[in-house]
Order: sequence, then structure tokens, then C-alpha cells
Amino acid sequence: MSTVSIIKYYFNLFLAYSTYFFQYAINIFADYPAEIKVAVIVTVLCIILILIMFFALLALSHSEKKKKKLVQRFEKKFGPGMDYMLSDEAEKRMSKSEIAVVFGIDPENVGKEILKNKREKEAFIDVFYLRFITEKSDYANRDNITSLLYLFDVPNFLEKEVSLRSMRKKVRYMGMIRTFKLPISPWVINKLLSSKYLRVQRLAMYSNIMLSSDSDLDYFETDFFDKHCCIKDEIELAYSLQRRRNNGRKLPNLARWANLQKNESSQCMFVRLMRRFQELEYCEQLTELYKTQPRKKKLIEEISRTWGYLHYTEGERLLIDALLTQPDDTKVAIMHALTRFATGKALDALLEGFQNTTNPHVRFEALRCMYNYGRKGRALFRKLEKEAKESDKKFFDFFNNPITLDKIGLDKEQAYHPSVETVYNG
Amino acid sequence: MWIIIYYIFCYLVFGYTMLLMFSYLYLVFMSHRAQGHISINIPDDETIKYFLKGSPLTPAVSIIAPAFNEEVTILDNVNSLMNIDYPNFEIIIVNDASTDRTMELLINEYKLVEVPYDIAMKVQSKPIKRVLKSTEEKYSKLVVVDKEHGGKKADGSNAGINVCSNKYFVCTDVDCIIEPMALYRMMWLVVNSHRPMIGVSATMLMSNGCIVEDGRVVEAAVPNTLVPMFQQLEYLRSFLISKLGWSSINALPNISGGFGLFDTDVAVKSGGYDPTSMAEDVDMLLRMVTYMKNTGQDFRLAQVPKVCCWTEGPGNVKTLCRQRIRWARGLFEIISNHRKLFFNPHYGPIGALVLPYIFVFEFIAPILELTGFLFMIWLIFTGGVNWDSAIILFGMIYIFSVFMSIFVIFFDYSAKAVEWHNRKISYLKLMLVTFLEPFFYHPIITYCSNMGYWQFISNQTSVWKPIQRRGVKKKK
Repeated sequence: MSTVSIIKYYFNLFLAYSTYFFQYAINIFADYPAEIKVAVIVTVLCIILILIMFFALLALSHSEKKKKKLVQRFEKKFGPGMDYMLSDEAEKRMSKSEIAVVFGIDPENVGKEILKNKREKEAFIDVFYLRFITEKSDYANRDNITSLLYLFDVPNFLEKEVSLRSMRKKVRYMGMIRTFKLPISPWVINKLLSSKYLRVQRLAMYSNIMLSSDSDLDYFETDFFDKHCCIKDEIELAYSLQRRRNNGRKLPNLARWANLQKNESSQCMFVRLMRRFQELEYCEQLTELYKTQPRKKKLIEEISRTWGYLHYTEGERLLIDALLTQPDDTKVAIMHALTRFATGKALDALLEGFQNTTNPHVRFEALRCMYNYGRKGRALFRKLEKEAKESDKKFFDFFNNPITLDKIGLDKEQAYHPSVETVYNG
Repeated sequence: MWIIIYYIFCYLVFGYTMLLMFSYLYLVFMSHRAQGHISINIPDDETIKYFLKGSPLTPAVSIIAPAFNEEVTILDNVNSLMNIDYPNFEIIIVNDASTDRTMELLINEYKLVEVPYDIAMKVQSKPIKRVLKSTEEKYSKLVVVDKEHGGKKADGSNAGINVCSNKYFVCTDVDCIIEPMALYRMMWLVVNSHRPMIGVSATMLMSNGCIVEDGRVVEAAVPNTLVPMFQQLEYLRSFLISKLGWSSINALPNISGGFGLFDTDVAVKSGGYDPTSMAEDVDMLLRMVTYMKNTGQDFRLAQVPKVCCWTEGPGNVKTLCRQRIRWARGLFEIISNHRKLFFNPHYGPIGALVLPYIFVFEFIAPILELTGFLFMIWLIFTGGVNWDSAIILFGMIYIFSVFMSIFVIFFDYSAKAVEWHNRKISYLKLMLVTFLEPFFYHPIITYCSNMGYWQFISNQTSVWKPIQRRGVKKKK
């Protein structure tokens, strides 16, 4: 008898017994009022569910045990080979048969199916995946890794699972394809891109970006993100673009994408990515965005930071003009950008930034910028320190304490978010 | 006339019970759905780490831990917090004017010196006396705030919020043992959310019975004594069914004060913690929701279905009663202070569904149970009990409560919410208490809830006494 028919047999038996028990219980209470009948039905149902869960627990535990044993066996059998493939020794390009020897496989068997069934393939992938998600994998020879995975028929297996299986498996294996940087057929990509499920769509998109060398990435030629942009999108996109750059390819025009998006958070994302990948040549294209959308406070902040970070000094005039008209947080971003330019033209603007506000945070940041603004800025700072009113003296204490002074320099500030080390809390 | 009243009461209670059971089933269904959804979105810990560790976009977090007279454990606890695996965080220890050597130990161990500060009191707290930082680079994550005595954890937390410089903060107790991956698990939900995440609740369990090494739980185990064992099961039910279920419809009613993540800006704009409240965590969350709804902003609240934090719970009935009486008072206070949210669809599913649920099934249930118990005694003495029906009804409730507990065990097993050291023993213990809980634990909780309500109504002053810690087992 096959396993399916055994399961069917026991399932029918279980169904027959439960129906019998159910009818028996109800018959006993046939003369009782309705609420008692309801109580009996609920009780019997609960008992059946408890029994089902109990047996499911046993079955789960059994299958887990089996899987654990298999994983342990593969750890022993293939673990050393995997470690070798991720080590410096495997830096050279290796052929499939060389890789096979590393894993103790007869080179004659290359091209044949080494892992027998789905369970073995799953266990192999799990063992390798956990090894792969380490810093080591960044330095490993990627061609060797791809060959290794092909040797064990992993890419075909993953692609099949992704195109056929449940959403959970789709996401899991799509994630692995993306992490292993494995090529995937265009029809699977297209199928996933049209999925209703956002996460699958995104994974497909980022895999495509990561793998295709000539793709024009036309997703972003429209208002792609609409309202659905999250930090994870930015992380994924950054990884994909980094990979492109590592492969020696030019990055697409991020400023153009920023201009094409309508949603502020998507626009900010592309501007931040410009900063991260130091795309100075496209900074000019942000000018229009800066001029036409002055009310988008976060966007103005990000553009100012990007210009400052990339030393796009052509934007200095615009920033100086906008300084006093912007809200406090944006003012701080603009002042930091002006300080990074350090052209000597913005000293008056910084002084105005200090004097024309009552917000202590902005005042402190203005002083901090002056302090870091070359010799002239430092001289102005000292002058203000001498003439400081009693209420302002607290600001200057931060510049005299070695611990806080250490964090005053703008070079300590990270490109993406303020440093976690607090300088001023006002 | 009495007969009619008697029948109305009986059918009302029966209807109430059926509705309660139905609502539990609904939560079971919702939590299962949420778990399915989360398991699609949350990969394994290693993948989360792979993405977040190397990215400069990973949001920074401030961990706020108020401390009062913690000289025995403070250094271990701060070291435990320092060992958290996350790329970008600061630790703010708020010393609530301890009268023992807490401050002295901190200063000597971490080479702390005073730094200038000019803290804007964004939320209400007692004045800050000084802010200290370490002169050593390896402790640069640590900020110690020394403040005047506020007497409440909420006051200390507020002082921490005032000092906090990051977009997100985690509020915890200084004696909580935090899982190394906790922040990654919580922040993964934040970075994956397409709507602004204003709060993330983490699953918290009892550390009684666990073995701890270097401030980390190395062997997670179910406690060996009955009272903590009952609580372990209750915590599992609360986090994995109730909170997870509600979070799936964005209606999480509570983020535990023991370990919860909040958006700093929203928390500040909502006024932070209320030091006068008995349930400051629920109170703040409801004010945050009110603020977001009143200003027309979209938001998200989420629950992490994996254990993130371990805390030592009451080890005996006396301490348990004290804690539960305080919780019951807190519930009463929440219901009276936030009554405008109840049955109010303007506040979304929290106002329209969850708070009414809490009122009807959590607040009223203990009162109804006590009434039912007294009624039963009266019926026994007057010979009015139909024993066959009584046993069947009691059997239904008993089996249903066992079903709920077995479900949570099953859920825990399949979702791998807790990595128990010895799974067989742990699950056997939990199954055992499942059968005992309705007889021993539940009556105590009902008694405490009614006592708490009575104390609130009669305006009795409550003195908050911290739980006597026995300490966790350390690995030799």
C-alpha cells in the first residue's frame, strides 16, 4: 500500500469514529434543552481539535527530527567543502570537477543528480545558506559558488519551487535566489512581478536589478513606489546597486528617478542613494526639484545633505537664500551642508541662523557649524563665545568638554542619520 | 417574578460565555493568520542580521532602563544591555536617586564623568541632576542620567525619553534579560512597514527556571514551581494569541512596559508616560493612538511572535496577588480615563472593537464570575442546582480552556516562538499546567481582579512594591 492510501485509510477511519462519537454524544442528550446540546457539541469539537493538535505535534516533532538528522549528516559530509569554498584558498576560479573533488564526489558523477530528493536538496540549501550569510561570502569567488550550486542542482530546484509553491515558499526561496545571486529565468521574474503580493514583487524586482547587466530598470521610470515605500526597499535597492557598481557597471541616473516619483518618501530615498553612491554628476538635476517643491521639508533636507556631502558648491547660493525661510530641522541640514562646502561665503548666513531663532537646538547647531567652518568660522565662534550672554553660555560648555567636543566635528556624523552619540539634547 | 429574573440571568451568562468563547476562537484564527503572514515576511534571524547589520540605513534605537536601588544587579544588567547585538544603539540608564551604591558602582565601573547638558523637558519628569558619559570609547554607547527621585518607573522612563536622541526608543526594566536578537527582530518589522510604525510589542516570558550566563539566557526552561508555571502559560497565551491576533488588524491594545519599542516623536507629542497612572504602558499607547487618529495620520502597531525578553515574575501567591491587584486597578483606571475611545469608530479597530472587547470580556468577566460563584452557592443551599446540566456546562468551559492552552503550545511549537532547552520536558510541563490552571490559578486571578476593582472604587491608596527577586540561575 502506498503512503497516500495509508493516510487516506486512517483519515477515513478517524472521520468515521468522530462522526459516530459525535452522533452518540448528541443522542444521549436528545431530550435536554438547546443550551446543553450546544455545550455538548462544543465540548466534543474541542476534544477532537485537541486530539488533532496533539497528533499534529507528534507528527511535526517526528519530521523535524528527521530533518535535523539529515542536516547533521550533510554538515559532516559537505560542511568542510563548503567552508573551503568560502575560504581564501578557493579564490582561484575552479572547474566543476575540481569543486566535485572538494566535496568528495567522483568527477565522473558531475552532471548527474547528486542529491536524491527534495528533502535532501532542502537540507543542503539550509546548511549552505547559514554558512553563506556571513561576511566571508563577500570575499568568496562568486563564480565558484555559482558552479557549486549548479553542481548540486540548486538553481533549478529553487526556480521550480518559486514558480510553483505556496507564497511562503516563494518568498523563502526567492530570498535565497537573491542572496546567492543566482540567475533566474525572465518568465519567472515576469510572473513574480505581476504577483498580487507586494513582497514577492519586490524580491523579483531586486533580483532582476541585481542580476541583469543591461536592464534599463524601467520600474522607476514611473511613479513606481506610489505609497508603498519602506526602509527595507531602500536597503534592498542599495544592495542591488552596490552589486552593480562592484561589477564595474555604471549606476542609473538616480536623480532622474527622484524627479519621476511623486511620493516624497520615494524621492527622498533616491536622493539618499545618490549621496550613498556619491553620484555627484547628477546633483545638478536636483536643482529643479529643489526649486519646484520647496514645501516638501524632508526632500529639501535630503537634497541639502546630499549637496553638502558631495560638495556640490553650485547649490550654495540656493541654500543660503533658503536658510531663513525653512523650518528648524531643515535649517540644520542646510547649515551642515554650507559648512561642508566651507567656501567662506556662508559665514553671514550661519550667524543669521544663530541670531534669528529661539530654538536652542538650531542655535547650538549654528555654533557647531561656525566652529567647524575653517579659520574664519572659528574666529567668529570665539568672538561670540566672549560676548555670550549668561543664557547662551551653556552652549559653549559643550565645546570645552573633551567628551562632547570629540563629537562636535561634522566628520563624526554619519551620512544617513545623526550619530547615536548625543551631543546636544536641547 | 424571581423565576423570570433567574432565567434571564442564566441565559445572559450562557450567551456571554458563548460570545466569549467565540471571541477567543476569533483571536485564535487571527493570530494564526498573523503568524502565517509574519512567517512570510520575517525570515530567519541570520537573514535579518545579514540585511540590517551591514546597512547604514538601519534605524538607530535608544534603550531606556530606569533603575532604583539596583546595586546588586546593576553591573550585570548594564553589561547584558551592552552585549545586545545591533549596529546602532545607545543605552540610557536613568538613576532615580538611588539610596544605595548603584550610582557609585556605575561611575567606577564605566569611568563615567559629567558632561554638559541642556535637556528640553519634552515630557514631564522630575529634574535631572546630571548626565554622565564614559571616558572610554568602548562604553561610548552608555549614557547615565542621574535625576531627582520620582518614585515611579514612568518618571524615570520620561527622563530617558527627554535625553533620548533617536527616532525609536525601547523601554525596559533594568533587570530584564534581553535576547541578543531582540532589536533586530523588532526593527525588522519597522523597516518592512509601509506605514509609519509607532510601536512594536515584543514577546516576553518568565525567566524563573532559566539558566543565565553573562547576562544571556542560555537554557530557556519552563519554571519548576506552580505559580510561575501558570504565569508562563498565561504569558504565552497573552502574547501569542491575544496580542498577535489584535496586531493583525492593527489594534494592539498594549505594549508591555517590560520591553516595547516606540516612535520617540509620537510618544513625546502624546505626552510620554503618565507617572500617576497604574497602567502607564497601556495609557501611553492609547494616547499615542488618539494623537495619530486626531491628527489624521496613518500608523501601524505590531507584535513580534518570537521571545525577545525574559523577566522574573512573582514566585509565590502573595506577590502574584499584589501584582494582579495593581493590574486590575490599572484596568479600571484605563477604562475610566479613556472612556471616550470606547465604541468610537473614529479611533479605528482599537476604539470600535478592542476596547469594547476589553471592557466586556476582561473587565466584566471577573465580576460576573464572582457573581456566578455566589449564585451557585445560594443554589446549592436551596437545592436549585440541576447537577447534570451544571456538570456539562462546566465540562464545556473546562475543555475549552484546555483547548486554548493546547493551541498556544501547538502554536509555540510550530512557530518556534521559544527555543526551549529541553522541548519535551517544557511542553509536558506546560500541558500539565493546562489541566490544572482552571482549578487553581484562575480563581486566584478572579479574586485579585475583584479586589483591585474594590480598592479602586473605595479609593484606597496603593503603594507600589517591587517584586522580590529571587534571581535567576547562573551557569556554573
